[in-house]
Amino acid sequence: MSNPFSLQYGSAPKGDSCQGILGHALVALAFCIGISCFYGRLPANEPKSPSVSVSFVNDVMPVLTKAGCNSGVCHAKAVNGQNGFRLSLLGFEPQDDYVHLLKEGRGRRLSMASPASSLILSKASGQVPHRGGVRLSKESTEYATLLGWIRDGAKYDGPTATKLLSIQVQPDRGTLPPKSQQQLTAIAVYADGTQRDVTKLALFESNEKSMAEVSEHGLVQAMELPGRVSIMVRYQGLVSVYSASIPLGAMVDSIPASKGFIDDALFSNLKELGIPPSPICDDATFVRRVTLDVAGRLPTTQELDSVVGSTDPNKRDTFVAKLLQSSEYADFFANKWTAMLKNRRDDASDITSNFAFYSWVRDSLLQNKPYDQMVRELLAATGTVQSNPPVAWYKRVKEQKQQLEDVAQLFLGVRMQCAQCHHHPFEKWSQDDYYSFAAFFSQVGRKPTSTRGEDMIFHKRGIATAANIKTGTVLKPAALGTSIDSITADQDPRLHLANWMSDPKNPFFAKAVVNRYWKHFFRRGLIDPEDDIRDTNPPSNPELLAGLEKHFIASGFDLKELVRVIVTSNAYQLSSVPNQSNSADQQNYSRYYHKRLQAEVLLDSIDDVTGARTDFQNLPTGTRAVALPDNSYNNATPFLKVFGRPENESVCECERTQSSSLAQSLHLMNAGDVKAKLATAGGRADLMSKSQKPMEERVTELYRIAFGRSPSAAELSGAVDYLTEPSSADASGVSVGQPASPERFQDLIWALINTKEFLFNH
Amino acid sequence: MSDPFHASSVRCAGPQSFGQGGRRGFIKMGLAGFASLSLPGLLRLKSATASAGAPKLKKSIIMVWKPGGCSHLDTYDPKPDIGSEYRGPFKTISTSVPGMNFTELLPMQARIADKLTVLRSMHQTAPGHPAGSMQMLSGDPETRDKPKPKYPDWMTVANYLRSKDAPRDNPLPRYVGVNPPLEYNGPAYLGDAYSPFTVMGDPNLPTFSVPNIGLSDPNEVKRLSQRSTLRQRLDTLDRAFDKQGELGALDQFETQAMSLLTSPLTREAFDLTKEDERTRDRYGRNAWGQQLLMARRLVEAGVEVMTTSMSGPLCGRVGNWDDHAVNHHIFDAMRYRAQAYDQAVTALIEDIYERGLDQQVLVVVTGEFGRTPKIEHSPSTGEGIGSGPAGTTQPGRDHWPRAFSNVWAGGGIQTGRFIGATDKRGEDPIERACSAGDFLATIYHHLGIDSANTFINDLNGRPTPIVDRGRPIAELI
Repeated sequence: MSNPFSLQYGSAPKGDSCQGILGHALVALAFCIGISCFYGRLPANEPKSPSVSVSFVNDVMPVLTKAGCNSGVCHAKAVNGQNGFRLSLLGFEPQDDYVHLLKEGRGRRLSMASPASSLILSKASGQVPHRGGVRLSKESTEYATLLGWIRDGAKYDGPTATKLLSIQVQPDRGTLPPKSQQQLTAIAVYADGTQRDVTKLALFESNEKSMAEVSEHGLVQAMELPGRVSIMVRYQGLVSVYSASIPLGAMVDSIPASKGFIDDALFSNLKELGIPPSPICDDATFVRRVTLDVAGRLPTTQELDSVVGSTDPNKRDTFVAKLLQSSEYADFFANKWTAMLKNRRDDASDITSNFAFYSWVRDSLLQNKPYDQMVRELLAATGTVQSNPPVAWYKRVKEQKQQLEDVAQLFLGVRMQCAQCHHHPFEKWSQDDYYSFAAFFSQVGRKPTSTRGEDMIFHKRGIATAANIKTGTVLKPAALGTSIDSITADQDPRLHLANWMSDPKNPFFAKAVVNRYWKHFFRRGLIDPEDDIRDTNPPSNPELLAGLEKHFIASGFDLKELVRVIVTSNAYQLSSVPNQSNSADQQNYSRYYHKRLQAEVLLDSIDDVTGARTDFQNLPTGTRAVALPDNSYNNATPFLKVFGRPENESVCECERTQSSSLAQSLHLMNAGDVKAKLATAGGRADLMSKSQKPMEERVTELYRIAFGRSPSAAELSGAVDYLTEPSSADASGVSVGQPASPERFQDLIWALINTKEFLFNH
Repeated sequence: MSDPFHASSVRCAGPQSFGQGGRRGFIKMGLAGFASLSLPGLLRLKSATASAGAPKLKKSIIMVWKPGGCSHLDTYDPKPDIGSEYRGPFKTISTSVPGMNFTELLPMQARIADKLTVLRSMHQTAPGHPAGSMQMLSGDPETRDKPKPKYPDWMTVANYLRSKDAPRDNPLPRYVGVNPPLEYNGPAYLGDAYSPFTVMGDPNLPTFSVPNIGLSDPNEVKRLSQRSTLRQRLDTLDRAFDKQGELGALDQFETQAMSLLTSPLTREAFDLTKEDERTRDRYGRNAWGQQLLMARRLVEAGVEVMTTSMSGPLCGRVGNWDDHAVNHHIFDAMRYRAQAYDQAVTALIEDIYERGLDQQVLVVVTGEFGRTPKIEHSPSTGEGIGSGPAGTTQPGRDHWPRAFSNVWAGGGIQTGRFIGATDKRGEDPIERACSAGDFLATIYHHLGIDSANTFINDLNGRPTPIVDRGRPIAELI
């Protein structure tokens, strides 16, 4: 039997991120463990005509995939596969797989003389010990398929097999009442016009298991959380999605007035799902919320008064406009962007370029440079850091692959990492897509300058190309499937990429940033994770996302306008307190989802309340944590580390830890730096204890600073009692502080900064 | 060049920095490196401590780390029959296990060799301290050094995975490090929440105390309680939201933090004065001995992942086992540190068995690599303990990841034997070669973690195996 295929399949680079510990481990677990291969007992719905010979590509490969053979933990494991039997991940490379089956393992994997004793069958069916367990029962149709193929001579039909055109799922959308079920059917459509029911062989996965689960046979089980959920159906490298809405079905009788397209889309979704929104929050709550979200700090008492005491019907909008004018807006968002852009201090000498880069980002935000222009300046940066600070990004992100991966994830919301080594398992992205994207960065030239560690970045004259590492094919630049082939040797391909991005018709660029910003304010992206945009991870409210995208493009990529339109909506101004029906809602924004203050904001806020100051090395006195230019301050300020300030190593905002931990609780309760702040000479506790004002006034002021509101009567009397009650020694003879002493005020401030009301934006 | 921390070496810029910023930074952080415990169940602390029944302890591990890399030829894998350019001055002695020999530096372990197993065919592929440590602790296959680990170490992985388990009825942190390895390991993408509760300092000093555990000043305890009561009275948001998810978790952390800060029980777990004087003597009245005693005390009290590193002044001039000739006269240094090392390890192993912890607790003693079988001679870069005056030529051994030994005890394993063998010069395994992946898989196996089928998503959402290649070493499970 002649074999026309080359054996050149193992050329992936060693030491690559894909080849290391990561292996080709994607989604392995679910398949290898979850599927116990008993689907063969289901009623056969795919009887094969005996006259038709078994196709390797269309019959055998799906069996191997469904049985989990080519999952990452099994035979698609990095380098050699489990026990030296190597298959391509999820069967994307049938040609290679055929070679492995036929030619390796000393030919024992397939036995032509005695097909039933082929290792592929005896192992998979457990007749010969198999570490992966029994994958195919001997009675199953799948077993029969493999056996039939071997009996037919184990032929490879790659070039001649009927091409699979698409996979369809029926139904493709629907409404699922809580706790109801829906059977899905997967239909494969072939180039010759035939269709096949491949439900048994397709793979199903829910994008939100707390909302709906799906069995390996495609039976969807809705849970009780309301919202939208999708089930991804995969077959032979193609994907399709079933989307369901799970209604809550409660009465929605009072909906706030609409202030525009955001409210229209958000409230109509709530009506459709039957989730009653919480009411609009009061002025004080709004002022604290929006000041924290836009400027990254607590509101001043003056700001509070300017809104709470005003009768102007537009007072909230006016306040938002002022916040957007403030330099603190630029500080806060520069902090966000410089982390993702990896402004990181690895060496003391990085300080110059880090400061320059930070200033460039901050100034761009302050002057409200259009977003597309800002990205263009970064992407196509040339020169030196001194003359052109965005060049610093090329200092941090040096490798071509890293450049394309960061750009795709950060600016387009697309994760391309998988496609470096294999076809993206949930997406259409192939290795050609990956390397043709990399080609945009192939002409980035760099040469050292007189400043240590700083390179000059320039366009290296030449035609941009990149080679697919697997096939060796030399590829021209193409941006996520859009080829851009008119680039001459003199033109910087990165400018073409920037042009493509800022085209109003670009389906990724605006969507990625509006979704990212939405998440900033609402805790959860319309698409979540916010930088994993793909057909198989659809938005929870598509109309709303489309509306934001349209508005942002029409505004000329105006970031301040994007913030403004979001925070002035009534949708943003809902109370965070759940009503009787909406506490289960996690993705429809029927109330404001509270967020813990991020590390920098929390530290600044504690400084504000205690009247203390945190000093940072080499920065002017009074610099706030939210305005720190890079990560280098984390080590000297444990507070920032404990509360999860990132080290600016990842393009993903998930590097920032927002979850609570024991260390955080301990830190707030007892760490030296917090205790010192409480006891600062001339600090809040000190001054308040010396103040001549009535105790009630002092407590009220404290509440207004910490919580942005006045205390209730009960809170006021409770606090005043604590401050003034005579000290009584207990049995151990211990007594703490005299009435109205600084210690008593420290206790009160300690209690306030340890409440959830303080720690959260709500 | 008298500052031991600045003894520069061309060959090795590695562990000399152990005493510098990294560690001190952590000391300053105090609570910062504190690991999180499992979220649920902490509220039940009181009821758990109230009920008399002994808590069922989970499988746990003590890893004794020898940073810098310990010479295998001079300890567990002696080669008496090779030439003097390899052999070193130490005599070979027999142990209580026929056929298993150590050098004379380890007479106490030789006596209890029936209670331990030596793996002589350990090997990895990274020649530098950073990459070598990352191979051994996090399974990163990379051979080049990099400043920070890319993958979480097995300790944080275990802490993270166990935090998803059933509730933990114990006020102590799950993962504690007493002078732990800190430099070339860490939580990577798992985040600081899974880092160890770190205790620094010399537990042998009378002034030694653990900050933020069981405050000893009754005034402080009282004040904290008062503040906490006041806080509860004032937190109205507390009542407005339902307590599922994040806010509920925070409640539990706060309760646990209070318990850690105010409970005498947590203080006692770290309090070596509660130990019998003879026990303390038996471990050795020095930092290493008392570290290992504290490790035993903590696992007995319910800590599940325990690391401690044998470094500092007891190692000699540069504070670790990195015995290049520029750093140390290797044989002087080995002789200097051997007694404390041998005594502490012996006491720990014996104690584990005597107290019936030998099924529950696995003890592993290892470094990131071994040392060059062939002895080199170079001028010392500074005088100090274990090193001659600057400029005097002295013997040393360089980094050797190709073969080294580590010690295993407890954990229900079969002891009293050695596994694998190296060639006649101790340069490469000739039998039963075990990789860093095998080392990690064995540890995970003891903790009940199926390393072949456990994946954790990195920051890109990519499922990453906790051990890429490697299987539990059959003789050690």
